[in-house]
Amino acid sequence: MSNILKWLGLSKHETLKKNRQKFYDFNRNKSLEDYDFVVFDTELTGLDPRTDEIVSIGAVRVQKLRIALGKNFFCYARPNKPLPKDSTLIHRITPSQIIDAPPLSETLPDFVDFTSGAVIVGHFVNIDMNFLNRATRNFLGGTIKNPVIDTMKMAQFYEDYRKRNYYEDRVSRLSFGLNDLAKKYGLPLFEKHDALEDAMQTAYLFLFLAKRLRNVGISTLRDMIAAQSRAAFSSDRDSYTA
Amino acid sequence: MPQKNDSHKADPEAVLEFLKSIRPFSDLEEQVLERISKRMSVDFFEKGSVILEQNVSQLSHLFLIFRGAIKINLIDSENRSILQDVRGEGSQFGALSIIRGVKSLFTVEAIEDTFCYLLEKEIFLDLLKRIPTFAGHLWEKFSSDVMDIAYEELRSQKLEPRSEEGLRLFSSRVKDILKRPLEVVAASDTIQSAATSMTENGVGSVLVTDEKGDIIGIVTDNDLRTKVVSKGLSSQAPVMEAMSSPVKSISAETICFDALITMMNLETHHLAVNEGNKIVGVVSTHDIMVDQGVSPMSLYREIVSQTKIEGLYPLSEATTLIVRKLITEGAKANDVARMITALNDHIVNRVLILLEKQVGPPPYPYCWILMGSEGRQEQTFKTDQDNALIYETPPEDWDHVKEAKLYFRRFGNLAIQHIEACGYPLCKGEIMASNPKWRKPFAVWRNYFDRWMSAPEPQAVLHATIFFDFRPGHGYLKLAERLRDYVVIQAPNRGIFLMHLARDCMSTKTPLSFFRGFLVEKNGEHKDRLDIKTRGLTPFVDFARIMALRNGLTETNTLTRLRMLGEAGAIPNELYTETVEAYEFQTQIRLIHQLRLLESGQQPDNYIDPSELTDVEKQTLKEAFGVIGRIQAYVKTEFRVLE
Repeated sequence: MSNILKWLGLSKHETLKKNRQKFYDFNRNKSLEDYDFVVFDTELTGLDPRTDEIVSIGAVRVQKLRIALGKNFFCYARPNKPLPKDSTLIHRITPSQIIDAPPLSETLPDFVDFTSGAVIVGHFVNIDMNFLNRATRNFLGGTIKNPVIDTMKMAQFYEDYRKRNYYEDRVSRLSFGLNDLAKKYGLPLFEKHDALEDAMQTAYLFLFLAKRLRNVGISTLRDMIAAQSRAAFSSDRDSYTA
Repeated sequence: MPQKNDSHKADPEAVLEFLKSIRPFSDLEEQVLERISKRMSVDFFEKGSVILEQNVSQLSHLFLIFRGAIKINLIDSENRSILQDVRGEGSQFGALSIIRGVKSLFTVEAIEDTFCYLLEKEIFLDLLKRIPTFAGHLWEKFSSDVMDIAYEELRSQKLEPRSEEGLRLFSSRVKDILKRPLEVVAASDTIQSAATSMTENGVGSVLVTDEKGDIIGIVTDNDLRTKVVSKGLSSQAPVMEAMSSPVKSISAETICFDALITMMNLETHHLAVNEGNKIVGVVSTHDIMVDQGVSPMSLYREIVSQTKIEGLYPLSEATTLIVRKLITEGAKANDVARMITALNDHIVNRVLILLEKQVGPPPYPYCWILMGSEGRQEQTFKTDQDNALIYETPPEDWDHVKEAKLYFRRFGNLAIQHIEACGYPLCKGEIMASNPKWRKPFAVWRNYFDRWMSAPEPQAVLHATIFFDFRPGHGYLKLAERLRDYVVIQAPNRGIFLMHLARDCMSTKTPLSFFRGFLVEKNGEHKDRLDIKTRGLTPFVDFARIMALRNGLTETNTLTRLRMLGEAGAIPNELYTETVEAYEFQTQIRLIHQLRLLESGQQPDNYIDPSELTDVEKQTLKEAFGVIGRIQAYVKTEFRVLE
């Protein structure tokens, strides 16, 4: 019965209801500085949203386009199935680290609360959002409605802009991977493949790009979202390599 | 709520590490640091963006730079920006404004992409109140900062040409010290009446006019002494007999320093002053000396009054004193170098004049030429001798040739010994008039240059850097001028020779590491020091030389070469401006470095210790070095250098 209600979208977790109310008529025309952002990253057991699970979430809050250092979120989550070895090799989370961690169903409401009222930011964020929304559907009975910004699309838009306006003669085969971008833009570097470190790295990238794009007229959230869809459709680009 | 894991190094743990590494935060207890690190935030400022605006921005945070660099400017009442400081990683800004509770005292601008940790104003003030040592350190820092700022302001004001004090020699123009009305006597007046007029007006010279009232000559007290008193000319003879003619004049707009140099070079104490075509007065070395207090002129006087070569030996020591005074007056390195060169020239000239008296007159006219930094008039403190001798080609019979060879061999060897005794070390490469190879008749010299320009061996390129900057020093100057004319006509057409020079010019690497640190000597006596001459200045000197050769300039001084090239449009305007600025700044750093060594009793050298430079100097020096790459890129395309 409860499954059917969930499927019909009728039984929703309190957290989700609050989430929906917040974004029911969200004003997208304010300047980027006036929004709160939650920059997040997940570590997974694998890349298939139907079978794989989230094992860790890291998130950083950005207010007034500044990273608020004390306001972080981090959790491990014990997956239902044993942790596959090849995923441990990527994110270096070992089975013993998560054996005592609560399951995602317990920490997920905390995370959704953490994103309260904020625009969500991630690098190549569609994958993370897929997993996140699948989890919220399963455990909380629906998806979250926060607007989402992808730093990879911001970077693509920024690079396209530069190519058009500065006639960079050498079209380098640019990788849009998080670390390659951080290196290219001279940002402080963090450890790879830890959800909080990657979230922090993404937050730095977000700050950098948001300020750069502000100079070319991308000043409101609506502008930013529009720029992203433009970046998504522009053609001649190297595919994303992580 | 969210669980945290201790193993994470991400901020705010990274902030904690950072705070522990900088004073005064490093003095605080760990728990305090942990607590405040969680309240901090990270902000990013793009290169070129204004972070704080003087008298406008309200400070809500203290800024701690952990990546990038900023500059602090004070905008004065006349809306000029005065650079106060450049600060890099590990520095902070905004503290003074927060403590005083005022809007930003300065304008702060990011000069690189900059990340800052922001500490809330309230927390910062709280720390100040509760932790006395924290405040103590800051106050200490502020008082020295304030001193620096004050000094900087003083200096920047001193460098303003309109300033009243200190800088007269470099700021005042001849017209500023021209006080007396123009005194003239007619050419037909008696010498006695001219002398009376001079005495009555208390001046040392008077101009002489013809019937039409045009100025045709000048009579000085020196003329009266040498021509009238000692040679027994009647005091009733017309002034015309005693006057010097024609009158040498300089523009009333000339800077006093340049007037002084001109007078020293012309070996005179009086010059007429013109405005356009009209003579408006007379300026004397005495006038300039009175105007500026003490002067290099006294040293000059001492040099020319020596009648024995040995009397010249100790005089070059005095240049140090003069240079110190010039620097404190705010002279730029190039002016100082010209002054040093002028004084050195006089010592050498005096040696040669006295030597001629000692060994007898030369059988053929000769010209003493100066090369390398002496040739470019870029001498700092005592530099090695770089000289040579050209003499008029004797008739082609053995007796004449032998006579010339014997005389100039003796003359050259003696001259070098005396000059060494005056404090100018011998050239290690033996490029001196004592070396028979560099003591040749004009025809041989012309062949030398011709060969260097047509057979570009590595040796030729090496020679080019020394010989092609030659300048006539003493004697029959026409010989050197004729040689210069030859080079000026030939060089622009010697494409392959120029291309080799261009390649040499590109071979010096910019002394900056990939991460914009200075490249220093890895080992040896000068470990961790930077050879500013070879690494920094030489590329600029080479660049000016190659462009001057290509464009047929006779000038040898690097800055003057650059100015002439820039004004003629022979190098792009932007490159010209930044080249001149970068070069001048480096020469200034080197000069002060050498003066410091000299005053502490050490031998002046070219090895700068970057850690002794201020942040502002470091930053400026880095920018100066950055210009080298742009010079090389330009040279590469202009001379079609293939790699």
